[in-house]
Order: sequence, then structure tokens, then C-alpha cells
Amino acid sequence: MNGKKRMTNNVLLDIQNLSAGVTGKEIIKNFNLAIKEGEVHVIMGPNGAGKSTLSHVLTGKPGYNVTKGNISFKGKNLLKMSPEDRANEGLFLIMQYPVAIEGVSFMTFLKYALNAKRKYLGEPELSAPEFLKVVRDETSKLGISQEMLKRAVNVGFSGGEKKRMETLQMALLKPNLAILDEADSGLDIDALKVVASGINELRDGKRALLIITHHQDLLEYIVPDFVHVFADGHIIKTGDKNLALELEAKGYTDFIKEAQC
Amino acid sequence: MLDFFENISLLSSNIPALSSLRQKGKAAFKGLPSLKDEPYKYTNIQSVITPQMFSQKPHACNHEHCTCHEQYLDFSAHEFHFCNGLLHEHFHFIEGLEISSLKEALSMHEAAAYIGKFDIEAFPLAALNTALLEEGLFIRISKPLDKPLALIYHNKEGNLANIRNLIVLEKGAKAEIIEVFEGANTPYLTNIVTEISIAKKASLLHCKLQNEGQNAVHIAFSNVLIKSEGEYQSYLLSKGAKLSRCENHVLLKEENAKAVVNAAYRINDAQTADITTNIAHLAPLSTSNQIIRGVMDDSAHGVFQGKIHIAPDAQKTEGHQQHKALLLSSNARVDVKPELEIFADDVKCSHGATSGDLNAEELFYLKSRGIDELQARKILTSAFLNTAFEEIENQNIKAFLTDSF
Repeated sequence: MNGKKRMTNNVLLDIQNLSAGVTGKEIIKNFNLAIKEGEVHVIMGPNGAGKSTLSHVLTGKPGYNVTKGNISFKGKNLLKMSPEDRANEGLFLIMQYPVAIEGVSFMTFLKYALNAKRKYLGEPELSAPEFLKVVRDETSKLGISQEMLKRAVNVGFSGGEKKRMETLQMALLKPNLAILDEADSGLDIDALKVVASGINELRDGKRALLIITHHQDLLEYIVPDFVHVFADGHIIKTGDKNLALELEAKGYTDFIKEAQC
Repeated sequence: MLDFFENISLLSSNIPALSSLRQKGKAAFKGLPSLKDEPYKYTNIQSVITPQMFSQKPHACNHEHCTCHEQYLDFSAHEFHFCNGLLHEHFHFIEGLEISSLKEALSMHEAAAYIGKFDIEAFPLAALNTALLEEGLFIRISKPLDKPLALIYHNKEGNLANIRNLIVLEKGAKAEIIEVFEGANTPYLTNIVTEISIAKKASLLHCKLQNEGQNAVHIAFSNVLIKSEGEYQSYLLSKGAKLSRCENHVLLKEENAKAVVNAAYRINDAQTADITTNIAHLAPLSTSNQIIRGVMDDSAHGVFQGKIHIAPDAQKTEGHQQHKALLLSSNARVDVKPELEIFADDVKCSHGATSGDLNAEELFYLKSRGIDELQARKILTSAFLNTAFEEIENQNIKAFLTDSF
């Protein structure tokens, strides 16, 4: 990423003075973060620090309240948008624990999702053959069998399989900003590589990425532009990829203590 | 009201078997059941059936030019149509099938062995059906059929449809039957009794879409007798009518008889849908399985009463039952009464019932992928109902039912 290119890129996501949490408990406090097109940001922090709350607030999950601050996405007020509009605008969350849905095949689910986005953008729905072609192209890249697509959404899928399917959805929906919430937890190396290659495939200088994680496994495959350390509800330090290594070497407890001195 | 039902005047007939059945029906009918009668304690039949529903309106359809003759289903099937409660007789030769009007079958002494094979005293509406016996089909299947039979009941004028069908599967026969009920928005009554006899090693797939007009009352009673290694699979989707009661009695009479009695109901406004089953395991090694799914919105009312009876001799039998309800509104309600009556010791039986709203996590997952609230709810509701129909092998019939949610 060179400085020249970055200057021409617009701010995609702008979080200003955000405070949010669940009823009676503020988890995110005075949080600020701006992500420009094409950038890869990593937020690292210990387990239980409330990193996932950030992804829930961004995607509009019910049960999370914003008490202060603004979030704009592509210049629009994200907090006023429904979860489905946020998705169709180009926000995509690779979930930590994707939900299993009995009775709905992956194929059906993908078709609804893809056509929902097209409808939102004012494009015609894909015909059955068009849809199949698009899906086949992506599944072959990710090593996903057609059999898996016939199965019910995430029902009986291993952790690795679930993340593969999340990656497939991301590849099909081509978001402007993908958020990976602990996408690397509980994954073996092979699945990690699939997720990473799916992400790298999407990087075109415009699409941006926000990785939320507590360890740096995924960062061996995806090189970040910025690494932020999250503690006490906000970012306490920002650096480049070396910060992740420093964090890994020192451990969170010591690092946070040092940073707060 | 009471007077009306106490003084049913019987039609005269020159078919002795028919007259005698009507007499029996009249004698057995002691009035409409009330909420005080245990089998009807959740479903108020008395409040919705009126004497007006029995006044025969002039039959306006000219049978020859009736639009009811037109192919109804979008897949190939042998279709037979009822129009405003009357049978349109257009029979042609079909290999392995004998089909005629019930009256003709009674006059030819063919049907007597298969009619009235249950205690009509115990079923007031079936007794009433017998007292008013006139229309119906006699279907006898001797070989596997080339395509499904479809019985389509149109009721555009909202006339009384008092129908008695007899379905007989001879040894080794195999058939698929789909029934569809639809009609006008005026109040009318469908009161249908189906008697099914499945011989050794015969199998019947019996599917039904109850999509009657919004003010109709639909009462259906089926009595199914299954002999050794015979198989009965019943799949019902109940979504029409102001009030419906679909009651299915299945008797597994001989060893290795098998039954699947699945149903789904999808109702809203002030609709009531009652699914009542009674599966009697009378012989060893018989199996039954019931998966019932109900979705209720607005102030709709669902009822499921499911009984599994296992006779003392019926060892090594298996009977399972599962009812799940989705209540999409706080005014919707469901009454569930599972009943296990087990007199044998070496059996596997289970029953379970749950009710609740759509899963919020699932809903959010779909929305987080851009699918709007309404569509997401639809997808999850259909998936929920779909569970009852997953095992239907005939893909055309399966799609017809699942597309009707």
C-alpha cells in the first residue's frame, strides 16, 4: 500500500466517539476508527474485552445499544440502517459462530442473499443457470463440494466447514467492507488458508477489511496495514504489522500495562 | 338448531345398501358434538356448523361445460373432479384401477365390504355423513399405477360437500393419491369420510391440501386399515377454512404394517385448524411415525390431539410422534394433547411437543446477509413446515405441497 494511492481513497467506515453495549453495561467507550477503501485493519485484544460487541454494533444485531457517537459507512448513517440494508450496502460479517438453520439448503439461502443484494441495487434477479454458474465458479476456488451446498445451512458442519461457507458467502456478495470476527478461532491450518485466500482474492485496492482477533495466526496469510490494540472499550495503541508481533511476544497483560503507564 | 339436526330427512334410494346405510347413520347421529365432549374439547364445531349449510342450492354448473374439468395440477396425474359437492363422472380406462361412483359400487355390491368399517356411534360427523350419503368414489387399485390419482374438490358456489370415498389397495398394489380442496368465500361445509383398506404388501402415498374458502368448515375423517407389510403414508397441509378438523385413524392390523402420518398447518386471522390422529398398533413389529408442524399468526388457534395405542400383543412395535408449533403472534394459541396408551412391554414409543416464536439468531443471520425481515420470516416459516414433508418421494407432489405454504 503506497501513500499516494491511499490519499486518493475515500473513507469507507468512520466510527466517532462510539459508546455502546448491552442494557446496563457499556462495553465500548469513546471508540474511534476510520477505515479507508483498500485498507486492512486488525483489532487485537484479550478475550472478553468486548471486541465482538463492536462487530455486533456494526452489523446491527438486536440487543446492542449505542449510547453515544456516530458511525458512517460510505458516507451514510449506518446506525439508522436495518441489518439487511447494511449488508446490501456492502458490509459483511464473517461470524464467529455461524448459525445453523434446519430445513433451508445452502443453495436456497445463497440465492435469496444474492438476489436480495441485486434487488437493493436495482439489478434484475439472477436466472437459475446464471446463479449456478456464479456459485460454481466460487465453490471451485474454495474447494467446496456441490454436496455441501445441498445440505441445510451449517447443520452438522465442522468449524472449518462453517468458515469455508462464510468465505463463500463473502466471495459471492463481494462486500466493500468485510469484518472477520475471530474468524481464525478453532480453525486448522487448511481452513485458515482457505479463509485467508478468500479474503486475499477480494482485495482489489478498494475493498477493505477489519479483522477482529485475539491472536495473530491469520496475520501470517493476510498482511495488515494497521494493527490496533483494544482494551478498556477503545483503541489504546495503533501501529503496523509489527505491533501484532510485539503483542504476541509480550502477552496482553504486560503490553496493556505498559501502554497505559 | 337442535331441531334441525334431530329431524334429518333421509333421501330415498332404490339401492337397498345405500338406504340401509343412511338409516344406520341417522340412528347413530345424536347431534353435533360440543366442547363438553372430550374429543372436541378444544374445537368448537357446534358454533360454526349452521342448518343453512345443509340447504341444497340449485346446482348451477353445467357438468359438460364446467371449468372444473380442466387440468388442475401442473404435473401429470389422473384427475377426478368434484364440483360443488357433486362428483363429475368422467371415468376412462386406467391399467390397474377400478373407479366408479360410490352409488354404482353400492348397487353392484362391490363396496359393501369396505364401507362402515368403524364405529360410527363414536364419530358424530361421520354418522351425519352416513345419514346424508350420496356422493363419493369407489377406488380399487390392483397394480402399481403409472401416475398419481388426483381428487380435486372445487366448491365455487359454496354448496354442501358430503362425500364418502372408499379406497382399496389390493395385495402388492402401489398408488399415490393427492386430494385438493378449495372453494368460495361463502360459508359452506365439507364433511368427508374416507375409508382406506391396504392389503398385504400394498402401499399408498396419500397427500392432501386443505385450502377451503375462508368461511368454510372442513371436517374430514379417515379410517385406514393396514394388513401385513402394508404401508400408508399420509401428508396433510391444512391452511384454508374458518375451522377445519382432519382426523386420521390408522389401524396397523397385522405384522410389519407401517404408517407415516405427517401434517402441517399454516393459519392466521381467526382460523382454527385441528389435527387429530389415532394410531392403533394391533400387531407385532408395526411402526408408525408422526411429524406435525403448525404455524399460527394473528389470533389463529391450532389443535393437535395425537394418540398412539399399542395393544397387548403388539410387541416390538415402534410409535413416534412429534408436534412443534410456531406462534407468530401473542394472540395465537395452540392446544396439544398427546396420548400414549401402551399395553405391550417390548416397544419403542416417543412423543414430544414444543411451541415458540422464530429463532432470533436465525432471523438475524439471514438479515445480516441482506435478506429483508419479511422474506427472512417466510424462509424460516417454510423451512419449519417443510420438516413434515421432507420424506415425500414424489417430487411433483412434494413441490405442490411445499409451494402452497
